[in-house]
Amino acid sequence: MMNLEERQKWAMPAAIGLLVAAMFTSLVVGDLGMSPAMLWAGLTHADDLAATVLWNIRLPRTLVAIEIGAALAASGVVMQAFFRNHLASPGLLGVSAGGAAGAVVAIGAGWAAWSYFTVPFAAIGGAVAATLAVVVLARQGASTERLLLAGVALNALLGAVTSYVLSNFTLSYERNAQIIFWLLGGLEDRTWEHVLMAAPIGLGAVLLWPLGRSMDLLSLGQTEAQSLGVDVVAVRRRMLVLATVMTALATAVAGMVGFVGLVVPHIFRLLFGPEHRRLVPISIVGGAAFVLFCDVIARSAGNLRLGIITALIGGPFFLWMLRRQS
Amino acid sequence: MSVLELKNVAVASRLKPIDLELPAGQLVGLVGPNGSGKSTLLMAAAGLLPAKGEVRWGGRELGEIPIMERGRFAAWVPQEAQFSFGFSVASVVGQGRFAHGDDGFGVPEALARFDLEKLADRPVNQLSGGERQRVMLARSLVVAPKIYFWDEPLAALDVKHALQVLELARELTQAGATVLMSLHDLRLTMCLDRVIVLDDGKLCADGEPEKVLSNELLQSVFGVKVEKADGWNLHLT
Repeated sequence: MMNLEERQKWAMPAAIGLLVAAMFTSLVVGDLGMSPAMLWAGLTHADDLAATVLWNIRLPRTLVAIEIGAALAASGVVMQAFFRNHLASPGLLGVSAGGAAGAVVAIGAGWAAWSYFTVPFAAIGGAVAATLAVVVLARQGASTERLLLAGVALNALLGAVTSYVLSNFTLSYERNAQIIFWLLGGLEDRTWEHVLMAAPIGLGAVLLWPLGRSMDLLSLGQTEAQSLGVDVVAVRRRMLVLATVMTALATAVAGMVGFVGLVVPHIFRLLFGPEHRRLVPISIVGGAAFVLFCDVIARSAGNLRLGIITALIGGPFFLWMLRRQS
Repeated sequence: MSVLELKNVAVASRLKPIDLELPAGQLVGLVGPNGSGKSTLLMAAAGLLPAKGEVRWGGRELGEIPIMERGRFAAWVPQEAQFSFGFSVASVVGQGRFAHGDDGFGVPEALARFDLEKLADRPVNQLSGGERQRVMLARSLVVAPKIYFWDEPLAALDVKHALQVLELARELTQAGATVLMSLHDLRLTMCLDRVIVLDDGKLCADGEPEKVLSNELLQSVFGVKVEKADGWNLHLT
């Protein structure tokens, strides 16, 4: 068994290896199974059928999976440091639900027809509103109970908004299908537009990088961090904005995909230690690999929704964490 | 020039307006009953609590000093540290060098000074209260500041480590730093250069311990009487 130092040395190469393996699997697995030679032929347009499947379906889907996995895992790390609590994550705190509720309201009200960007912007608006509500409800350093209760209340409230829209505003089958997509999360029919729409997630990941050390100090206490020279107000504001925008963008292109922000940072913190300079990049790469693998499972299991697979893995894991913490 | 100067510093409902000046190289104790405002005064002086009045460090108004520079000028240790994540002891102590560019300078020495070498790789959230206190004191030591604000640094420590901290405080002040610490054991104030007495958020007395801690004052502030008695004199071996 490797010790912590050895594990830390191999952490990034292992995470990148996992991501490459996940990308490969995601590209070759599907109704049209591909050999490595066919994959190459498709990528280089030497085979028309393989090229069509890869460039129009699997590549955008794979890239969106990478983007949302990275975004949700990074947001989880940031929120756990922000609230100084292992159990904080975009899903449990209602930030994802806020994003989904924003999108659902926009679809239900028919605003989606206005512009391609209406729904994503509505998702961002919903996620921002939910984040602000959590910050007010469960100040930093709040106990696990307080934080989870705030999340439960917010998720229930946002669920009520969504149900109201579903029961009162959805007149067409198409709108209903769109709403179900947001609520269950998925990567079907993702296009290059979705890849581009979520592209700022990459910028968010880069902007998170220099905050690692400040996040270490902040996760041990706001006053302590301030006394050591951390510009607490500025760093916390940046953390919150980045986590919210990244979650919102992920929700905007793939709907509500739960548990990624909870499970991924927790596993990597256990394996490689809590230092954020290491944890943030590893969670970004590992989160992308996790969502890709979940999507491959979803596709292989008769096109299940991605959110169902992440919940099936994340739900029991969350219960195990609660048990372990108590 | 004073290292620390407070002019009319007050915190709503917790601290009445206080004037205070601490020169370099002084070992100062802050005493008073529970809830008398010791922690509030320490935090206000350390710039960690919004307060009315004027706080000056090294002659400069606190608001004019950039946050990073403040992190090098002063080190604060809270009464009780809570750790939510399992950072290693060495990593937490190393955080004291954040404002110095995270150069890791002095970390091994600080660990040794507080008998923490064997615990260096242990997660801080698995330590006892006294061990956590030593980690926080070691972290403040690596900051190498001009002034230390220690909030009840001895409260959770065993007798050996408590004496070590007092000895360290004396060394630091001899090297030119100032130490302002709150404490409850009035007998220990006899090791200090100066003692400040707070009661109900008000500064009641300030001066040399032997002169300040009179029977009358102890009776009015703490409701206790002083009686000199023979006892043990503890020394580090």
